Amino acid sequence: MKHGLKSLALVALLGSSAAFAGGHGKSAAALIEEATAGYKQVSKETSYQWTVTVKTIKEAQKALDGGNEAEAKKLAQQALDLVEATRQQAQVESQNWKMRVPK
Amino acid sequence: MKKIIRNVAFGLVGLSVSAASVAGPEEDRQAFRKFYENRFPQVQPIGDFQNGVYSILPQAREQWEAIEEFPPYELAIEEGEKIFNKTFANGKSLKDCFGEDGAVREQYPHWNKERGMVMTMELAINECLEANGEKPLKYKKGAMAAVSAYMSYNSRGQSINVEIPSDDPRALAAYEDGKEHFYTKRGQLNFACADCHMHTSGMNYRSETVSPAFGHATNWPVYRAKWQEMGTLHRRFAGCHNNIRANPFKAQGEEYRNLEYFISYMSNGLEFNGPAARK
Repeated sequence: MKHGLKSLALVALLGSSAAFAGGHGKSAAALIEEATAGYKQVSKETSYQWTVTVKTIKEAQKALDGGNEAEAKKLAQQALDLVEATRQQAQVESQNWKMRVPK
Repeated sequence: MKKIIRNVAFGLVGLSVSAASVAGPEEDRQAFRKFYENRFPQVQPIGDFQNGVYSILPQAREQWEAIEEFPPYELAIEEGEKIFNKTFANGKSLKDCFGEDGAVREQYPHWNKERGMVMTMELAINECLEANGEKPLKYKKGAMAAVSAYMSYNSRGQSINVEIPSDDPRALAAYEDGKEHFYTKRGQLNFACADCHMHTSGMNYRSETVSPAFGHATNWPVYRAKWQEMGTLHRRFAGCHNNIRANPFKAQGEEYRNLEYFISYMSNGLEFNGPAARK
């Protein structure tokens, strides 16, 4: 249970604080493209996909289409962080699931 | 930040490798069953786990038993019977594939050695339809759930008896795949099937008590109050994945068939009692 909470906290951390890091100097369009490519790559390499990632990419695109570059950048960066968190989950879980099997 | 994440991730992986399980299916099943026996010693006899969350909630069980007197899935059984008996364009019917009353629940899921895959009852229904020139049904609800309800109703009392043939390593691989799926955390909420239905079973998420996974495979399809209609097991799998913000897999795709194979094997010996009513 404690382990589950720790993992949950880790994912929550990835989904929130990391959104404020990185992405400087890139346009919203470039970040959206990067997030989309990252999502496709993780989907191709693993069976892990999060519903919120596509949703966030779509919201970023919508903000960009509406002329709100700052909001689009923020959302695109969030999508990139979600992609990275998904990748980390796949990596960690490739072994960690075994700990939960009762003996 | 990235470095911290990587270090934490590798640390978790390192911790886990030493605790990795290498048990075979029968050892898995014994440990699985023992887990629920220890967690819910009040459930007697053990076969009562077939009633899902109502096996552990006496008060909710009274309400559920009242619902079962006039079950909401009754209409689905009637609809399913019509579909089952309907003559195809070629003069045959589902009876030609599944016998006079379709009471074949105990034969599924099973390992098909020739095709190297897990066969489920719903998949077999569609293959029968297609083999006879009929259109396949959608897997999650509607006509498929109705036919499945009719066949399950006629199969009540049969026992789950899933086998993992030792002469085909692909069967064990499919089982292991389903097992891995069950214990693997997914989605943004980072939940595994086991997190809810094993390690927090009997506890509440908001107002709902989480059901034990032991017995999960017995009672499908179900009329679910939340859906206000019937749904199949794979519909529920997809719903769970949506809840944890993970993309669901395709109904009757390999992932869910293998998961069904695993959870059914875990419930070996329990009776099929579907269709059922659930919240």
